[in-house]
Amino acid sequence: MRGLSKLIGGVLLAATMSSGAFAAGYPDKPITLICPYSAGGGGDTASRIIAKLAGDMMGVQINVENKTGGGATIGISAVANAAPDGYTIGFISTSPITIRPHMMEAPYNPIEDLTYIGQFVASNQPMIVRADSPYKSVDDLIKFARENPGKLRWSTSVQRGGPHVAVEAMFKAEEVDATFVPFKGGSKVLAALLGGTIEMAMISEGNKSTLDGQTRILAEGTPNKNPVTPEAPTLTEAGYPIAPAIFFGLAGPKGLPDDVLAKWDEVLPKVLASPEFKQIAEAQQWTVAHAGHAAFTKIVETDYAAAKTAIAAIGMK
Amino acid sequence: MGDTFSLVAEGVGLALTWQSLLAIVLGVAAGQILGAIPGLTASMAVALLIPYSFYFDPWVGIPMLLGMFKGSLFGSSTTAILIRTPGTPAASATVLDGYPLAQQGKGGKAVKMALYASVFGDTFSDVCLIFFASLLAMVALKFGPAEYTILIVLALCSLGMLSSRPAWKGLVATLAGVIIGMIGLDPMAGTPRLTFDNPELEEGIGLIPMLIGFLAVSEVFRQMSGKAEDLSAKAIRYSDDPADNRVSMAEFISCLPTLFRSSAIGTAIGAMPGLGSTVAAFIAYGEARRASKHPEKFGKGALEGVAAPEAANNAVSGANLIPLLAFGIPGDIAAALILSALMVQGVTVGPLAFSQNPLPLYAIYAALILANVVNLILGLGLAKVASVAFSVPRRLLLASVLVIAAAGSFALRGSVFDIQLVFLFGIFGYVMMRFGFPPVPLLIGFILMPLLEENLRTVLLLASTYDEHLFFVFKRPAFLSLLALMGTAIGLVLWRRRRRALGARPDA
Repeated sequence: MRGLSKLIGGVLLAATMSSGAFAAGYPDKPITLICPYSAGGGGDTASRIIAKLAGDMMGVQINVENKTGGGATIGISAVANAAPDGYTIGFISTSPITIRPHMMEAPYNPIEDLTYIGQFVASNQPMIVRADSPYKSVDDLIKFARENPGKLRWSTSVQRGGPHVAVEAMFKAEEVDATFVPFKGGSKVLAALLGGTIEMAMISEGNKSTLDGQTRILAEGTPNKNPVTPEAPTLTEAGYPIAPAIFFGLAGPKGLPDDVLAKWDEVLPKVLASPEFKQIAEAQQWTVAHAGHAAFTKIVETDYAAAKTAIAAIGMK
Repeated sequence: MGDTFSLVAEGVGLALTWQSLLAIVLGVAAGQILGAIPGLTASMAVALLIPYSFYFDPWVGIPMLLGMFKGSLFGSSTTAILIRTPGTPAASATVLDGYPLAQQGKGGKAVKMALYASVFGDTFSDVCLIFFASLLAMVALKFGPAEYTILIVLALCSLGMLSSRPAWKGLVATLAGVIIGMIGLDPMAGTPRLTFDNPELEEGIGLIPMLIGFLAVSEVFRQMSGKAEDLSAKAIRYSDDPADNRVSMAEFISCLPTLFRSSAIGTAIGAMPGLGSTVAAFIAYGEARRASKHPEKFGKGALEGVAAPEAANNAVSGANLIPLLAFGIPGDIAAALILSALMVQGVTVGPLAFSQNPLPLYAIYAALILANVVNLILGLGLAKVASVAFSVPRRLLLASVLVIAAAGSFALRGSVFDIQLVFLFGIFGYVMMRFGFPPVPLLIGFILMPLLEENLRTVLLLASTYDEHLFFVFKRPAFLSLLALMGTAIGLVLWRRRRRALGARPDA
């Protein structure tokens, strides 16, 4: 027994020494990654796989801590209030960063209180109709909505999320009325679309259902080209106000040191290129898309400003 | 035809290796243990394991997951029966007759009945999945918010008939459940309701802290308020009579109609995304009581009262794969996790799988059936272990239940607030029982209220988009068939009640 504990002690010692030798400066102790979503969801899976792979590469332990509640704002405000040393960072996704703060009193200012470390996933949000639907284009939908006010039924996987705002902004720009029908999660939206309860949806599940021959893609709700139907325009290409990026990323408190940001800019692309990450991403239907500190900050700032204008115009609360 | 046969044989062969058999055994065992621990669900464990699952061969990883989900449903009912603490919410209806049986010294019988019913429900829905997946999924897709609403109303009516006497106490309890269920953000408008400016309440009251507090902690308080000498007695009295520790053939046969009915209810509800196994268990329990010749025995230790919810909640888990395999739509979190595990392994499911690559489907079918057999064998072992584990003096058990209750609710979200809720609901439940208010209607009100609200409000919203307004529901064949079914069910009850009243008169 004593031999075993000595052995473990030796291994641990060796592990700390080797990590110290490899990592010049940051990181030289365990990092806490705050996940504002509960264990078991997509955000949690993403946090855990990033923590495991990045931790292995940097030679330190990255501990995932789930701090849920308040539509993810509780966890993110814990990140914003942490010491800016790079040892407390957080997982973030679109809604609590660029969208929700325009509709509610968030306990942080996304532009002033956070540093954006990097983006690692940018999902597609295709606008889909049933494969047998009469609507072949966005114009067909708009035409129907104009002639039948309020009778076009549609949904997105999250109420008041980015895609919801983007499609509302589209209808507002065309000055037509359509009816948003809320469902809890993309798979229920897909069931409602296929079952004929709604006519249109903007959900990430739309890529697979289109490959399966059940749906048709009319447009793409994010700035990323749709891989299944590349000829589908993004909403901004089609002349509408906003096509917000639907991202997963990492952020830290305001004022993270440059060496921390540089380290993550170096490690994150390697994590994303690893076969382990690719496999998980494929299973979760994430589109892997890296953006470093500078590019990610720009994405957030652009979308934050665009969403502010769009949400004020729609009057969404 | 010969071609199909060789395909089936090849697919089944994939899942019949010793590695996958071992994986199933491990999965079922882990599931049974995790299921028995309140607050730890198989879904959580699977979610944590998924990042590692690509290290396994597909036909080791997937059978293990399937086994885990099946095992956890049975595991959760052992604690529901023996210590009134459902390991997962799906087993909360099992408490109603399981715990009274345990108090009569028939815990062994109840646990075994739960096991047989679980395996029966599993097998029933797996057979439906194998032979009618596309058909069932097609019908289920026709069920929209209007049909969900009437189904939930059916459940409320069916369970409302269970309410205790005097009826007003049952009504008050239901209302209390509905009001507790309203706490949190309004599901459509997003405005806080009954949160008293407490941000912790915005996400609503968690089902697990509420269940554990209301059922388990309140029972601990009740026992603690008993005589001191009772506390050093054995926690659970086991009768020495072997008849009390097994399910006889005659008993099993008398439960058969209940098993078939409940499995069918579970399969139908499982095929529809979003209703879930807890709802199925309660509906099946209500229907079993309604159909019984001795409804007065329910709640006091009726064996059918254990068989019905257990068959139904297990049937849901198999049937959740129906929309998954037929349309690629996962019916619940468990199915969503299985979907993601399948895709990690490069196995695609969905409408094209049947025609393009049915091989993995046959392997999944084989693994499902095999997992049922393993669940039965290991379950008999667990039933023995559980009966030893809980044969400790009551004062020890009661203290451990409090610790398990607190730890289990904390484990779920890592929230201290949930521990406070557990004890708050413990006190609330104790006081309610003290004054003779039945706990069941409160639970049902709490569980069904959010589903009813979500679907009813969606129907009202949809009504504004139809020329017929609310009457659009009468143009839906699925709605009309459910309405007819509900009318018949209520009519039958009234007719039987009337006949019984007439029959009873001469004696009075």
